[in-house]
Amino acid sequence: MSEFEFLRNVTVGQYLPTNSPVHRLDPRTKLLLTLLMVLAATSTASPLATLLLLGVLGGVTGLAKLDARYVLRGLLPVAPFLLFLMAMQLLFQGRFSLCSTVWYEWHFVRVTPCLLELVLLGALRLLLFLFVLSLLTLTTTAAYLLHGIEQLLGPLQRIGLPVHEFALANIIALRFIPTIAEELERVAKAQVSRGGEFGSEPWYRPDRVARARLPLLVPLFVNTLRRAEELVVAMQARSYLGSQGRSRFVELRLRPADWGALALGGALLLLVWGLA
Amino acid sequence: MPPILRVENLHHTYTRQGHPVQALRGVDLTVEAGEYVVLLGHNGSGKSTLARHLNALLLPDQGNVWVHQWNTRDPAHLRAIRSMVGMVFQHPDNQIVATIVEEEVAFGPENLGLDRSEIRRRVEEALAQVAMQPFRHRAPHLLSGGQKQRVCIAGVLAMQPQVLVLDEATAMLDPQGRRDLLALVARLHRKQGVTVIAVTHFMHEAIDADRVVVLHEGRVALQGPPRWLFQQPEALRALQLDLPPASELAQALHRRFPAFPADRLTPEEVATAVQTYRPLQPAPQLLPPLLPTPSRPPPLLELQHVAHFYMRGTPLEIQALSDVSLAVHPGEIVGVLGATGSGKSTAIQHCNGLLRAHAGHVRVLDQDLSDPKVDLRAVRRAVGLVFQLPETQLFEQYVGDDVAYGPRQLGLPHAQVRRRVQAAMAAVGLPFAAFKDRVTWTLSGGEMRRAAIAGVLALEPQLLVLDEPTAGLDPQARQLLLRQLLDLQAQGCTLVLVSHNMDELASLCHRLAVIAEGRTTLTGSPAEVFAQPTVLRAFGLELPAMAQISERLQSEELLPPTAAFYTLAQAEATLSQLLAEPGKKPG
Repeated sequence: MSEFEFLRNVTVGQYLPTNSPVHRLDPRTKLLLTLLMVLAATSTASPLATLLLLGVLGGVTGLAKLDARYVLRGLLPVAPFLLFLMAMQLLFQGRFSLCSTVWYEWHFVRVTPCLLELVLLGALRLLLFLFVLSLLTLTTTAAYLLHGIEQLLGPLQRIGLPVHEFALANIIALRFIPTIAEELERVAKAQVSRGGEFGSEPWYRPDRVARARLPLLVPLFVNTLRRAEELVVAMQARSYLGSQGRSRFVELRLRPADWGALALGGALLLLVWGLA
Repeated sequence: MPPILRVENLHHTYTRQGHPVQALRGVDLTVEAGEYVVLLGHNGSGKSTLARHLNALLLPDQGNVWVHQWNTRDPAHLRAIRSMVGMVFQHPDNQIVATIVEEEVAFGPENLGLDRSEIRRRVEEALAQVAMQPFRHRAPHLLSGGQKQRVCIAGVLAMQPQVLVLDEATAMLDPQGRRDLLALVARLHRKQGVTVIAVTHFMHEAIDADRVVVLHEGRVALQGPPRWLFQQPEALRALQLDLPPASELAQALHRRFPAFPADRLTPEEVATAVQTYRPLQPAPQLLPPLLPTPSRPPPLLELQHVAHFYMRGTPLEIQALSDVSLAVHPGEIVGVLGATGSGKSTAIQHCNGLLRAHAGHVRVLDQDLSDPKVDLRAVRRAVGLVFQLPETQLFEQYVGDDVAYGPRQLGLPHAQVRRRVQAAMAAVGLPFAAFKDRVTWTLSGGEMRRAAIAGVLALEPQLLVLDEPTAGLDPQARQLLLRQLLDLQAQGCTLVLVSHNMDELASLCHRLAVIAEGRTTLTGSPAEVFAQPTVLRAFGLELPAMAQISERLQSEELLPPTAAFYTLAQAEATLSQLLAEPGKKPG
């Protein structure tokens, strides 16, 4: 018997409040550190340095009082994709390998030590990106991430980029994710209660699949549009007339811990470059 | 002092489905500063449209609206008008912008361009006024409906408005949430002199108003103080409205005993009037004692000690149900009561196997649903489940097609589908010939609700479970739907009703079950359940109006517990006997 709980298996993008020092860092700090990590990982070709970075992330996980198993489980859905990528590299990348030693050759397949190193490095890098992104979202609410982005990009507003509107639109989207997920769940349950069955259509008949999804999508669309209309009215009723003349309530402040974390991040980047 | 709001010959027409709809046809209305005005009117009478004119969300086609001394047509005053007149709408979910409570409250002040320290001060003050400071860092979607509405009010208060417009703000709340919200509004009105304009479908919410304005066909049809207004039952009925339950009883008693005051509006007032009508001796036993329950056929549906967890196996796991037991016998109407978040919606989703019991058993038609061999589709045909606001789940363009969805899924031949659709639509009072080709979205709110219920009836269930079937309907649509449910029961359909409306449950149900904090805390006949007012109140519920009167008379020892009543008919019969006791003839 299937269970209807749409939010249960979503761990990527999930926020877990544990009130750790990592949680308390300014979102701008965490965004910048994430960028530093990605920069460090992409600018080194040494698997050793990449392993070092992964180790650092493991340490941060502990510092953030998160269960490493829970964090890693969030990465599991990517595993098939990762394996596929590695297989593809092994099969087709060998011909362009610069190594002179060849361990195995069969038609176009050519396995060399450099190729193995490249495949390993690619996999480690991808893991690292996902790991650092999970850590960012697990320790920072999406709203604070957006506040951070808004303030980091703030100067661009002056040259006419709609930074505020972008941030507000995203905050509203975030605010409605649980609402609309609940709605989808309720509509699905209602249609199942009326004898509907989803997922039994043959995949080679996209017309029938689409037809079967209509009872879910039509109400969801109609209700979302209605919500949007009501929200616009409610925002207008509270004097929202765009970003002009608007002030900001949320205050972000960089504390000594933030400067310290940024300094450590910088040092790590230099260390990685030194290892290369 | 000039009036704070002045509406002059206001006309407004909007287009719906390409047709012009004249929502307002010449409204004149003046509201003085500090007044508490309630706007009544059936669906489509124009009251929400009028409310939206009061802070320039809509602009007049003809006529004028002045807020303070500003004409709403003048764009220069838009910010001033909107910060002076704050609005709270029906669905809290659709008016919250931010993902954190305090940021939500700050949204309005941010729009006014206030500086950070002033915003901080106003957010503190507004959260304190609605008693939501402990929740300031919460995400709004984790709050109850009543708490969300209080956050919305705080968001408006932070703009320091002089007028508060509530557009059916209590419609979606449970009794506790509704009571808290009304008390909050009354406090703001009394202590801070806020002018209140409340649009509502609940007659008893009009009782505290200084003035009630009834709209009909886009005009003001009737207005006056509530005590006067509710003395006009015929006029109100002609305007498709009804009376508060206590007022209805007072007038029924007045017809029998002309000296009994007809203008009593609340249960307290009626109880006091019964006491002072003349000094009464403690009454003798008036009604026969309760009969022993006859032996009943085995239950159609049985929940036995059901427990359920959400997000099971994640760090976010929460227990929604810990011990829910409920038996529904053929032919019964069983009411399920409980505050928001008590677990009652989770409980009813076990009835047709949408959710699986993590402990305990669910038995439907003598089958245990935890048995993997059970055909769930057959169970779902036997147990029809109608969700809250079912009209939001309609998806077909034509009413007939939507109702036919279920039977078509069963793969029935065309003639049978047609017969079932016809029968289902007839059962909810939507004649097949007239309605099958109507476009779904053009139906009225009440008709859409009934069409959605027909969609479940077309599966010909033996048991129909309805979650808040009358929420958000106007009085007339509500009465009509309840009558149709009674007809269904008379035709042999067993019903389970989940509702916040105690008066409704009292007058319809054979048995009641109270769910609180994930367990069934009380079950029994309405008389048994309503004899436990302290338990009900502890769980955020309230007695029906008639039972409140009965409770008061019992505490004054004017009524023996065996004569307790909870429906209007019982109250009328019992009190007529009580007032007509030999000794003194009334009048």
